[in-house]
Amino acid sequence: MSFGDQASLFPDGPNGLHLPELWLQQEGPEADVVVSTRMRLARNVEGFHFKSRFKEGESERLEAYLREVLLEAEPRFRYHSMPALSSTEREVMFERHLVSREHVGDEQPRGVAFAPDGRTSVMVNEEDHLRIQAFAPGFDLESVDQRVNALDDDVAGRVRYCFDARFGYRTSCPTNTGTGLRTSVMMHLPALALRPAGNTKGRDRDLVRMRNAAEELGLTVRGLFGESSRAEGDFFQISNQVTLGRSPAQTLQDVRELVKLVVEWERSNREAHLRDDPGRLDDHVWRAWGLLTHARRLSSSEALSHLSALRLGAQLDIFHEVRTPVIQSLMVNLRPAHLQLRAERELEPDERDELRARLIRDALGSSTR
Amino acid sequence: MVQSCDRCESPATVHLTEIRNGEKAESHLCEECARALHVPQPSKELQKLLESFSPGSGKQSSKPSATATCPDCGMSYAEFRQTGRFGCAKDYEIFGADLVKLLEKIHRSSTYTGKSPSGDRVEQGELIDAMRRARRRLESAIEAEDYEEAARLRDEIRRMNPGAEGDASQEGGA
Ligand SMILES: [Zn+2]
Ligand SMILES: [Zn+2]
Repeated sequence: MSFGDQASLFPDGPNGLHLPELWLQQEGPEADVVVSTRMRLARNVEGFHFKSRFKEGESERLEAYLREVLLEAEPRFRYHSMPALSSTEREVMFERHLVSREHVGDEQPRGVAFAPDGRTSVMVNEEDHLRIQAFAPGFDLESVDQRVNALDDDVAGRVRYCFDARFGYRTSCPTNTGTGLRTSVMMHLPALALRPAGNTKGRDRDLVRMRNAAEELGLTVRGLFGESSRAEGDFFQISNQVTLGRSPAQTLQDVRELVKLVVEWERSNREAHLRDDPGRLDDHVWRAWGLLTHARRLSSSEALSHLSALRLGAQLDIFHEVRTPVIQSLMVNLRPAHLQLRAERELEPDERDELRARLIRDALGSSTR
Repeated sequence: MVQSCDRCESPATVHLTEIRNGEKAESHLCEECARALHVPQPSKELQKLLESFSPGSGKQSSKPSATATCPDCGMSYAEFRQTGRFGCAKDYEIFGADLVKLLEKIHRSSTYTGKSPSGDRVEQGELIDAMRRARRRLESAIEAEDYEEAARLRDEIRRMNPGAEGDASQEGGA
């Protein structure tokens, strides 16, 4: 089974589900360390209450109105009303980063619009009336900045945003007030985590350094999957917190500086490993390969941590069995809702783990005995 | 060769590359000094902030917004404090001074800087932000006993518009 052709993987679902291309398969700038870049703008529209105070019928009217606006602004957009989708389909939208976790479960009339290439999407009736988002593979602030603002400016010509010069864009939550801008960069930092045997202090030291540098700039660092501070698969997300008083240009500059710093740390750690104990790195990568190509049941987090090792091996050129894009697409396609969509039914946890293990063996081109 | 710490004689284990004013500055520190120089600030989770914020507290608040309720959506400041979510855009005017203080706690500013829907730029927050950043750098320069850098930063701050001093000093006391 090929993971290259997303269109054939998921033919339109029972409700005519459209899925965008999996842009994460492509490699962007600084792909050895940076997985993806995201930016979103929170916007609300005058004449409607915020979500916590919608009156009877207001959210339906707002969704219908904004759907029209978005499809006029960008005719290539696909639009899905979330309640019209099955819970698996909604979860798939989440696993593709098209919608937030909250947008999956919520009862309100709400929707999502997205470009066929999956690099631009808009949530309607999430915490704010509009959450305009842009994505790019690798480290590419310019690209997401340009696209998210172009769409925002277009929509601003069609609706009246809640805005004044004092507070800027008025958002539902005071943590977004002002620019409503959140930019996040997802980074793969396995070498910062991989330490000489018995030395766990080093890892913590580097992560503390990273967090301190972030605080200094008003940014945060989070483990990507799950809220625990231990990042599964060593994926970390750097994002800005301040949205009031700091210009978007300054915010992007801060993010750029921190990301560049962390990229340098990660690269120098990788070099140090290759220099000091190449055998250990070799073992780390091939062990993961052995497990992934032979295991019969794999949980999400186990698969992720071994795929992380393969990604490191592929990027360091010590491993040529599989290329990064295949690994990246596996990381999305092996998440639970994607597995259920493929199986076209709900799966028990054990069934999921078995299907996951089988798909990995297929994708890595090993025998499926 | 083992490099020793920039501040004491211990072996340096933390090697930092910082970018100050567009220039790279390298420093080598032992773990103890590294920790001393970078005291992490307490996490600024919104809920904790909201809870710690008793409405109408502080001497300068003229009218207590504890009782303020939005005539449009019915959201009270008390309920806003619990949920952390506004009910409508008008709440920003209704909640007045308490909201301004809360925004300053969250963002260390309450003055917008960025674009406007009409395409203009709104920039009053920018200078305040630049000044605050310079002040923070000044504090760490003093802490690091880098008096040359501190003197330079002090001049830089002085050159900035003194009109913004009020906002910056307010925040120093918070
Ligand atoms: Zn020292
Ligand atoms: Zn209101």
